[in-house]
Amino acid sequence: MIFLAEGMAKAALGRYWRKSPDLRAKQLLSWRRSAVIAAGERPLPCGLLPRSPLSPFLLVTRGLGAEFRVPSPALHWVPGGCGSLAWAGAEAQGTDPRAPARPLLARTPARPRLANCARGADKRPVRHARSLDLSCSSTRLGAPLFRLPALLTLGPPPMEEEQAYLELYLDQCAAQDDLAPPRSLLLSPVVPDDGYIPNTSNSETVFNSHLEEVKASGHFSSVDLSFLPDELTQENKDQSVIRSKQDIEENCETPGQQSRMLLPREQDVGLGLISGSTLLNSHSQVYPGDADPVQPSPEKPNCTPLMSITPMTPVTPVSECSGIVPQLQNIVSTVNLACKLDLKKIALHAKNAEYNPKRFAAVIMRIREPRTTALIFSSGKMVCTGAKSEEQSRLAARKYARVVQKLGFPARFLDFKIQNMVGSCDVRFPIRLEGLVLTHQQFSSYEPELFPGLIYRMVKPRIVLLIFVSGKVVLTGAKERSEIYEAFENIYPILKGFKKA
Amino acid sequence: MAYQLYRNTTSGNSLQESLEELIRGSLNIYRFCDNVWTFVLNDVEFREVTELIKVDKVKIVACDGKNSGSNTTE
Repeated sequence: MIFLAEGMAKAALGRYWRKSPDLRAKQLLSWRRSAVIAAGERPLPCGLLPRSPLSPFLLVTRGLGAEFRVPSPALHWVPGGCGSLAWAGAEAQGTDPRAPARPLLARTPARPRLANCARGADKRPVRHARSLDLSCSSTRLGAPLFRLPALLTLGPPPMEEEQAYLELYLDQCAAQDDLAPPRSLLLSPVVPDDGYIPNTSNSETVFNSHLEEVKASGHFSSVDLSFLPDELTQENKDQSVIRSKQDIEENCETPGQQSRMLLPREQDVGLGLISGSTLLNSHSQVYPGDADPVQPSPEKPNCTPLMSITPMTPVTPVSECSGIVPQLQNIVSTVNLACKLDLKKIALHAKNAEYNPKRFAAVIMRIREPRTTALIFSSGKMVCTGAKSEEQSRLAARKYARVVQKLGFPARFLDFKIQNMVGSCDVRFPIRLEGLVLTHQQFSSYEPELFPGLIYRMVKPRIVLLIFVSGKVVLTGAKERSEIYEAFENIYPILKGFKKA
Repeated sequence: MAYQLYRNTTSGNSLQESLEELIRGSLNIYRFCDNVWTFVLNDVEFREVTELIKVDKVKIVACDGKNSGSNTTE
């Protein structure tokens, strides 16, 4: 496996982790983009629910691996279901000179695999309503370089999904924009495999410890809110525990789809890097032992074996996906401060507060960063509105809680919950609302004399869409960001069908 | 008309008008309690036909009255 010098990779990852979550997402994207483009393939088209990103360490390694031909033929032992279209194509075309091309499984080599998609309980990828299946021939199969492997795990936790979706959609947009990928991380001298294994293991331990430490610290909020000790740290611990449990379960459920090429998700740092090290080790061998695949979930020995991979359906073409990402405009959340409040005292002493009990029995307080408004009730419950992301909403709610606490109330931070998310986007073509209401009358209501937009109540996910003649779409009613994205991907082909000529 | 502000807030979808003002203009703090509005503005320019007054900090206290609102400046 080709690698950067250890110092460079460490520095890159150090820079990565020092960034804010938004910048981290962008860095992941740029690494991933480079890797994908270097591997000569397109980013993953939509039509399938995307998965979580690789950890940055793994992205860097994959990105580097994409730059150079890996001399070992071991990579060809990827079984069909391991998300490597390049390999499948190479086997089909027979272009790769190195490989004895002995498939790990008895499967047709020409079937491309969908690596980076959600899978249902039967291991089939979960598809959106109108995505099409394509044959292998329509996919671009470039040189048999190391394709960026995807993660076949189920149900990522919500925190990672925002990165995943952001990554997926920005990938598509980037592919359309033809950005030149940043090459700095990928340029490095070719290093022979054998000599590098000890180095990688050192890097891994360093990165492993670093990643674990960062993960444990609850890296989302950069503001020091340690004044709210109980519920905050407990929440973080619970989330970390829950995430790691989910990882273990999910890794066990889809072991067959994890080969040495694939790695578990970012949170599953320990397992992922164990897999990564065995993967790297295997590259130095002529022929890796098939009988000894990566143990993705050592905790659960009763997982199904590698042989039980179900074939993945082909990738949908880029033209089928919308390439449009709905932007979140508003998030409404609630939290319980768990103490009775004297609203008059709050209104008199806090900055930027309004209180008119004759009109409304709550203090209306606003803060500038993040730009939000809160309704604070005497029961101690609070509603926070106006944030543009889930994390901003949480941060804003904590800031309001801090204001209340500084005024002398024993405020806590219980049961933070996002109640509603609103997104909007533009399909960029006019829409025949009359036609849409005729064909989808059980979902739509359109009364132009009452309201100029068509109100589309989607059943799954349960989202209400306001669709306008101009092509602008508002999506609301979501509890999760993924519901907004899924709803838009569901409606987009329908709207295309009603494009105004 | 006076109810409109609170109609928005009771629905939970408050407009960000006050904050827009904070960002665009020089309004620093606002407060409304017991039917009394208090504003603190920074770097304000009072312009009259004849003269111009520049002030670092202005505190405006306004009461709702049948006759008129009262203003004090410091």
